[in-house]
Amino acid sequence: MTDIIWGTVTKIISTNSFEMNVSHQKDTNNDSYQDVEEINFTEIDIPSIPVDINSRNISQIEESLNDKFVKCEISGRNSENRLVCSVSHSGAGGY
Amino acid sequence: MRTAQILKEITNSKYTDIVSGKTPALIVPNVLSSSHCTLLSRKILKTNFMGSSPGISKKIGTSLSSHIYEKSQYFSNALLSNQTLKNLFSDNVSPIVIMQQTISKILQKQLSPAFENEMIYSLAMIRIHEHGDSVHLHRDNSNFEMSEYGISNLKNQLSAILYLQSPHHGGELTIYDKMWDKNDERMRHPEFGYSLDLIKNVTQKKILPVTGNMIIFNPKLYHQVESVIGLKSRISLGFFFGEKSKNHLCSWT
Repeated sequence: MTDIIWGTVTKIISTNSFEMNVSHQKDTNNDSYQDVEEINFTEIDIPSIPVDINSRNISQIEESLNDKFVKCEISGRNSENRLVCSVSHSGAGGY
Repeated sequence: MRTAQILKEITNSKYTDIVSGKTPALIVPNVLSSSHCTLLSRKILKTNFMGSSPGISKKIGTSLSSHIYEKSQYFSNALLSNQTLKNLFSDNVSPIVIMQQTISKILQKQLSPAFENEMIYSLAMIRIHEHGDSVHLHRDNSNFEMSEYGISNLKNQLSAILYLQSPHHGGELTIYDKMWDKNDERMRHPEFGYSLDLIKNVTQKKILPVTGNMIIFNPKLYHQVESVIGLKSRISLGFFFGEKSKNHLCSWT
């Protein structure tokens, strides 16, 4: 089963990476994660962020992701110690 | 003292107090007669229900929160939802129209449904809370959460709820004297709403779901629906509205 963490995006690092405060971890995760993790996203389901990485810019990513609560499905860690994840919106704060 | 205000018309300063959250809610009594509400509730309970949400057994209608990043699906479902409500309310003047007209009158602003690229937003949602249903602590904030949609640009967004049927017990709307702040996102629950730690020692106002009454409040104030007790369900009709311009409001769900 894929490990999953949730939290808020605190800083955009590049057009495919950000820093997040991890507030929730799936009970059945195989690993445990730090309170702050850097995420390298391979997939993202937010339409305003283009799939093609060359079509993205930092301000666009900041507008779409900064302070947002997201779900990260983890496939591993890369050489920069970032979690490699599929990122999606999670739940709703209200109706 | 923070008290909900029972009013039929409001001044600009009272409108400002609602928008700022200084006044937790406006209660507009007898927007619909008891007999009209009873008639509508009977029809609603005979309808084939379209879905459920966190803490709600049954609902009729679609909402943005179910389609935050599925815009085309939202507008397709909104058409179906609006048609369902139109059919449901075909025998009388639609309570949605009555709510819109009442809001327009008391706030002295024009109110019309929101459109985006000639597509209409969902007009309203009916929520049916049955025995044991409650809605966890949350806030509604389209400005922050629905940034893919045009309505996220509307200012001073408020929520309007009309109670069509009161439960025997419970079902109060509890509004806390705490406005959402972006730092609160760290207290989010993955599925829905927020940690109760956010409202420890915070003043609250409980509003009874009185049949025929309409409530207007700032949905960025944390709020929850208390557990419904008994066989009689709590039925409400609601939508959000915000300022397109100083004297023009648009509504959506």
